[in-house]
This record gives sequence, C-alpha cells and structure tokens, in this order.
Amino acid sequence: MLGAMNLTLTRRAWLALAALGAAVAGWRPRPARAQGYLANLAPEEPIAVTLKRLFEGRPLKDGASLITIDMPLIAEDGAAVPIAVEVKSPMTPENHVKAIYILAEKNPRPLNVKISLTPAAGQAYVATNLRLADTGSVRVVAEAADGSLWITGRDVRVTVAGCAA
Amino acid sequence: MADIGRVKLAVPGSVRRGSVARVRALVIHPQERVDRQGGRSVDRNYRFVNRVVVTYLGREIALIEPSTAVSENPTFTIPFRATESGPLKVTFVDSHGVKFEGTAEVKVT
Repeated sequence: MLGAMNLTLTRRAWLALAALGAAVAGWRPRPARAQGYLANLAPEEPIAVTLKRLFEGRPLKDGASLITIDMPLIAEDGAAVPIAVEVKSPMTPENHVKAIYILAEKNPRPLNVKISLTPAAGQAYVATNLRLADTGSVRVVAEAADGSLWITGRDVRVTVAGCAA
Repeated sequence: MADIGRVKLAVPGSVRRGSVARVRALVIHPQERVDRQGGRSVDRNYRFVNRVVVTYLGREIALIEPSTAVSENPTFTIPFRATESGPLKVTFVDSHGVKFEGTAEVKVT
C-alpha cells in the first residue's frame, strides 16, 4: 500500500515536472519553433526583437549625423523601394564600417539585408531596392570596426504594399 | 524566366588611381517572397539570393546577405577603391545553391 502510494506520488511528481517542462518548451521564443525551410529564414518578430537578437543588447548610439539615408518620402510601389545609405567613415583598417544593416519596422521579418564591408571598399556606401510591407520607419544600423553601433531611421509612406516577407 | 541568372555589372569607363568608384550589380532572379496562408508563412524551399560576394583583384571587398525582403532582380551598388586595372567579380548565390557570376574589367588611369 505504502509502496503504491509512493509510486503514485512519484508518478504525480513526474507528471508535474513533465507539464512544467512542456510549459517551458512552449515559452521558448519563435526561432526554436520554426520548422523546415522556414528555419533558414529570419523569424517573424517585431523589430525590437530583431535588434536584440542581432546585437545582443549592445548599446545603439544615435547615428543621425553619421548616416545618410537617401530614399523617397513616398514609395509608389512597396515591391521595389530604392534606398542608398552612406556612412561617414575614413575606411582605414583601424577605423571603418564593418557592416550596414537595413531593417524595415513594418516587415514581418524586419532584417532586409546585411552588408559587410572591408576597408578596400574605400567608402561606406550601399544602394539597393527594398520590399516594404507597409508605411513605417526604415532603420539603418552601422557597425564600426571597434564594435560600436550607430542607428538612424527614415519614415517612408508606402502606397501599395510590397507584401515583403 | 528564361533570363534567370543573367548578371549585369556597370562600372565607370575609366577610374583615376586611388579614387573611389562604384559598381552596380544586378541579377535577373525572382527573389521569391514568403507566401502566407491564413496568416501563417508557408513552409517551402523559397528561392532567393541570400549571398553576394564582391571581389576586386581577387580580394573580397564586400559580402551582402539579402533576405526575401529585397526586390525581385536584386541590385546592389557597392564602392571600391581603384588601385589597379583588373577584374571585378560579383557572385550571387541563391538559397538553392545556384551561383551566378559576372565580371567587369576596371580600367585605372
């Protein structure tokens, strides 16, 4: 009798633990749940989560005076919005822009593109066409060779959504 | 889509030694976007360019990692410091592992 009670107790305890484990598993962030091919893409998340995931909470300094974003105020077609980004930098081996990240606030997967540069580029510049899901802010983060991060943004009005995903 | 994979590069006709020039690279590619059904992404092997390597005189000057949120027929303009005449190569790789290459000759004066 005692043995059976012990058994039920352990079983109950075990079940409780399992339930707790399942709850913890359920609480894991989205990336862990992404399956199959979608796991190769960035997870769907708000931009704040993307910034945290990319930069692990490192401070993002205001780069408004360093970073120039050339982009239309109103984008007719969200499927192709031209953007040109230039970051003031001497581009020497000691002091250069190592990477430029372009993120769209309203896109389900906010990171549009990451550009890694070397001093041989001579200039921290990139131009491309983005897909924008909706009217909102486009943020640009520049990562310097010393690891410091600079962020700035520009609002853009999107007339026809690009269904960016 | 017969044209898929055609790479076009535009570099200035001639560049002064030591100055910074820009290359514009374009690849004809569908750059598939993620489909949604009932608000959820469809799990499929989407075909999009996710890696672009720019080399000048055999040295890598830029690496671009685009997502599906870059337009169809992805185009990138990248600067380079012209030191010597030689080849500038841009390699696009898509998520299906297919490579598309283009080379332009840079003339330095």
